[in-house]
Amino acid sequence: MTLTTSRDNTRDDPRDNDIAESLAAAVTEAFENSTPIAIRGGDTKAFLGESGSAEQSLDITGHRGVVSYEPGELVITARAGTPLADIERTLADSGQALAFEPPYFGDAATLGGTIATNLAGPARPFTGAARDFVLGARIINGRGEILRFGGEVMKNVAGYDLSRLMAGAFGTLGVLLDVSLKVLPRPRAQVTQRFEQDQTAAIQNFCQLGRKPWPITASYWEDGTTYLRLAGASSSVSAAQKSLGGEMLSDDVAFWRDVREQQRPLFTDAKSLWRLSVAPATPVLDIAGTTAMDWGGALRWLAGNDDEQGIRQRISQHGGHATVYRGQASSRLHPLSHSMMAVHTRLKNALDPAGILNPGRMYADF
Amino acid sequence: MNQAASLFDPAEHAERASPPDKPTIIAALQAQLPAEMILTEAEDLRPFECDGLSAYRQVPMIAVLPATIEQVQATMRVCHAMDVPVVARGAGTGLSGGALPLDNGVLLSLAKFNRVLDIDTQNRRATVQPGVRNLAISEAVDHLDLYYAPDPSSQIACSIGGNVAENSGGVHCLKYGLTTHNILQLEIVTVDGERLTLGGASLDSPGYDLLALMTGSEGLLGVIVEVVVKLLPKPELAKVAMVAFDDVRAAGDAVAAIINAGCVPAGLEMLDSPAIIATEEFVHAGYPLDAAAILLCEVDGPAAEVEEDIERVREIVAGCGATDVRISRDATERALFWAGRKAAFPAMGRISPDYYCMDGTIPRKALADVLIGIGELSKKYGQRVANVFHAGDGNLHPLILYDANNPGELENTEAFGGAICELCLEHGGTITGEHGVGVEKIDQMCVQFPAAELTQFHAVKAAFDPRTLLNPGKAVPTLHRCAEFGAMHVHNGQVPFPELERL
Amino acid sequence: MQTSIIDAIRNTPDGREANRILRACTHCGFCTATCPTYQLTGDERDGPRGRIYLVKQVLEGHTPTAKTQHHLDRCLTCRACETTCPSGVEYAKLADIGRGLVEQQLTRPRRERLLRWVLRHVVAHRQRFALLLALGQAARPLMIGRLASLKSKIPPRRASSVPSHDRIGHSAASSGRSMLLFDGCVQPSATPHTNAAATRLLNRLGVRVITPTGAGCCGALSQHLSYRDEALDYARANIDAWWPHIRAGAEAIIVSASGCGAEIVEYGYLLRNDPAYAERAARVSALTRDLSDVLAAENLSRLDDIGHGQSVAYHPPCTLQNAPHLHDHVAEILTQAGYTLKPVANAHLCCGSAGSYSLLQPEMAGALRENKLRSLTAENPDVIVTANIGCQMHLESATGVPVRHWIELLEPAA
Repeated sequence: MTLTTSRDNTRDDPRDNDIAESLAAAVTEAFENSTPIAIRGGDTKAFLGESGSAEQSLDITGHRGVVSYEPGELVITARAGTPLADIERTLADSGQALAFEPPYFGDAATLGGTIATNLAGPARPFTGAARDFVLGARIINGRGEILRFGGEVMKNVAGYDLSRLMAGAFGTLGVLLDVSLKVLPRPRAQVTQRFEQDQTAAIQNFCQLGRKPWPITASYWEDGTTYLRLAGASSSVSAAQKSLGGEMLSDDVAFWRDVREQQRPLFTDAKSLWRLSVAPATPVLDIAGTTAMDWGGALRWLAGNDDEQGIRQRISQHGGHATVYRGQASSRLHPLSHSMMAVHTRLKNALDPAGILNPGRMYADF
Repeated sequence: MNQAASLFDPAEHAERASPPDKPTIIAALQAQLPAEMILTEAEDLRPFECDGLSAYRQVPMIAVLPATIEQVQATMRVCHAMDVPVVARGAGTGLSGGALPLDNGVLLSLAKFNRVLDIDTQNRRATVQPGVRNLAISEAVDHLDLYYAPDPSSQIACSIGGNVAENSGGVHCLKYGLTTHNILQLEIVTVDGERLTLGGASLDSPGYDLLALMTGSEGLLGVIVEVVVKLLPKPELAKVAMVAFDDVRAAGDAVAAIINAGCVPAGLEMLDSPAIIATEEFVHAGYPLDAAAILLCEVDGPAAEVEEDIERVREIVAGCGATDVRISRDATERALFWAGRKAAFPAMGRISPDYYCMDGTIPRKALADVLIGIGELSKKYGQRVANVFHAGDGNLHPLILYDANNPGELENTEAFGGAICELCLEHGGTITGEHGVGVEKIDQMCVQFPAAELTQFHAVKAAFDPRTLLNPGKAVPTLHRCAEFGAMHVHNGQVPFPELERL
Repeated sequence: MQTSIIDAIRNTPDGREANRILRACTHCGFCTATCPTYQLTGDERDGPRGRIYLVKQVLEGHTPTAKTQHHLDRCLTCRACETTCPSGVEYAKLADIGRGLVEQQLTRPRRERLLRWVLRHVVAHRQRFALLLALGQAARPLMIGRLASLKSKIPPRRASSVPSHDRIGHSAASSGRSMLLFDGCVQPSATPHTNAAATRLLNRLGVRVITPTGAGCCGALSQHLSYRDEALDYARANIDAWWPHIRAGAEAIIVSASGCGAEIVEYGYLLRNDPAYAERAARVSALTRDLSDVLAAENLSRLDDIGHGQSVAYHPPCTLQNAPHLHDHVAEILTQAGYTLKPVANAHLCCGSAGSYSLLQPEMAGALRENKLRSLTAENPDVIVTANIGCQMHLESATGVPVRHWIELLEPAA
């Protein structure tokens, strides 16, 4: 891989460094001694999933820097320890962005943690999740081997899609070293309209809007108000704005940042917070608590309810799954069926035979 | 690395415990399935001996044509119990030999699974059987103004199950993604006959992204028996610009210029002169026969945006030396412009008895260099080549024209194809963008991936299919095979896998 | 595609032709998408690509069994595959060659032989068919029990007269224009209205219509039953009957049954190796036109609004859609005449009639008909129309909606 001169090359950071070999050596040693290790980046997403059983940690924040970025290729490759903010700044300088709008949950957020948790912001249903933009990755497997999967091109079906598999695996299948992501141009114009409507009407509205080619890139509902973000060419945005009506939101960039970072009052005030992932047209869920909806209805946030069993049972009936963000639960991620757990443990074993990478970080079983 | 290689060498699996003889296997299958679904005679089996890549042929030992998931499960249980390898096949349109049968195996045809089971308008998804044709999905939801986005050129005939197995792309995947981006849920039957649901109704699922892993796994991890696809609203407007160039390099530069300008076209395709001439004869799309290359650049979305963007495209290509620009005036003309592109591969049948389709993907900036390099290789190997490809994705489809009836010509073609793969790798690309490795590019996998990565692939395979009964010999080469290949083949002066003993 | 045809076949005219056709096939499988039988069975051997393979293995010296014959028999020869094939594979020609070879190597069971004999020796002969049909219609009430299924095969009685001499419809205006109208074997007795209506309308348009008596069956029946020499004899007889009129200036050979039209446009190809007929056959093929194609070129202003918005579902026969050189203008003529055409899904799929197919493959034909009628009646049309006698009879036997030849809808103008 070549270090490419991007348009703005003044940001060469003395902290940029490739420490893949020393990280691999540490994993090899852990493999040989069967010592579980906790992979650690900016520590901003430690609250997700379980805390894991490893006592020794592997700090990847020293492995940082943009490896290559050429706007014309729509691809950026960066080391896992690179601060997410650095990457987004680099892209913004060339009028591009990570289209899945990754939440930070803290200034120290790194690229590695972003991919390992597969988090995506309000744009998710319209542009895709983190996993959708992964083109390739260099990882360290549980034997301490440095492996490269995928690549830096738009399409690649040579070999199993193990780089995409890393997205959302919480580091249990490998230590992310470098990740290549597809990037997209930033929309030329953006505006947000708000509408007063109850949740039932909002769900119906989302469904209807979803069946038409509106230039919508985010749709959110809370407390009797629907928020629709329109983005694209200014001509089409203003045309849609006129057709859809509603009231224009003045500082919509801040609003969507607050939604993404869970800085809306619903989130900040909640003692318990559940993330419910469902099919978008799922009717209003008969579960106690305060609700907000993102992703055009496909994501329901539930505050003020800590009945784990009740929530899980109800959400399973709807074919969805429930993750706890804040509060107590016997399993923070939605439990897997017996047969699925069997596949997971075999797959885990294939990449990390000694079970040393972030054990127990997702589920107690592996 | 040596250690890893020796631990997981699947060559160990090459020698199976001798499976039961054919009559015993047939009897076991007949106990589970209607007799007419089990084909055992050469006369019946020969039509199944190859898929869309007819250069590689093998009559299967047995072909099974089940019609229900239970019958698929029964077939898998019998084969698993008897250690019989299974090759799944959809529409048989694949171009990498992924459905090439085995002489000691069962060919499992899923072509009878051709029904659309459910259309959920509210959630914009459709549940379909794996044998449903790609285009049939869009046709089934056309009246709802919805469609299924991935559109491989063979979309009229290729099945969705095969699309998932190969992670098929198409002309619109620059903007709308590949199969992996457009499916929500898979129902698979595992090697031992169990049903497993991957993904779900929501946009993500708990646990690992097995949906991603299964997509593009070329039938090596499980048999796909049901697919839930995403449906998208049809764009308000789509326009395609047909741009002619008298120089291939100028066309390549125009591709980069369009992307650099912040445009993400819905499709950006290129045909070179031989391809233009062959397809024009079938389709009469009005492609200029004297052009060195044409670009088809489609912009879709809200009407106002499309009008704006297509004019930007016109300006950009004019600045890149386009000799002619025609913009589709209506849906009919747009379809006509695309018709030539979609029929381009088989249309080669008009100018050559056989063609060999390559699938390398490269960074866009290398387009012109690689095209020129392919031209030089064409002279070196003395064979004609036509280029039809997804320029926006950097996904090349050089079609090497040959005549299989001429002794030695296929071998020369394979060598030429191998050289093209390596040219793509030299430019930072991959050997296959969307057609899959299959049997066709299996040796080039040894060039693309070092032993450690291949070993890791085999370990993942073993997690699903420890006895390598599912489509063995495809997609991921054994280290043993790579060692043999390497003995004949030296890449960049380096012998791959120097640590392995040569045969 | 690679071929290795055995020597015994390779150097025959059929062998050379088969090789030429096979070489164009790239095995891409596009053809399977539009093949009606493949859509039904999902069996490679019931699609064009699989059948090409079955033929290929016979050409390559593998002895076929009844199974190969079964799958070749199940082909409708609708030729939808040919219009889908980007490589231009002439499937129907290859299928004919293949069926012929298989027929030579295999003896069919007695029942099949008998049915095929009857088809060739009765149906293809106008007078014999008329007699059989009359008997059948008379015996209809007696068809109960096991014979009940036969009922659906017999079209309802229509006022009929089988001409025994040249019929010449005289034009009102003596423009001097004349055209030949093809009668065929089944149509004069089964659906006599069709050509009667066509003749009247053409006369009104100033065209003298000639139906010479020497012309008979087009030969398609024999051709599809692999009696290719017999088919050529029919072709020669028709050419002989038409030739004097063609020399006298007949502008066209009009065919109102597209199944026959598709055969006649191939006369030039079929007789290309017959020095005595090749030239005339080519001329005949060039003059052959579908009735709608002929009418579309005329001034049809008199048709304005005879339909009064009546709703029509049109079933375009495969032969009219897929045979090269036949052109379909039915929809535009009916629209011009004031009928409302209903959209019909999957118009490219065969109805299952396919000449003698509905009699030889009743199960498959029935399934295709069921699908076709579902599409045709989806919008509750007042009438279903088609452009081929075979489709008309096949469809009308299983629906309550009237099924007519489209020309009958223009009767008010004739």
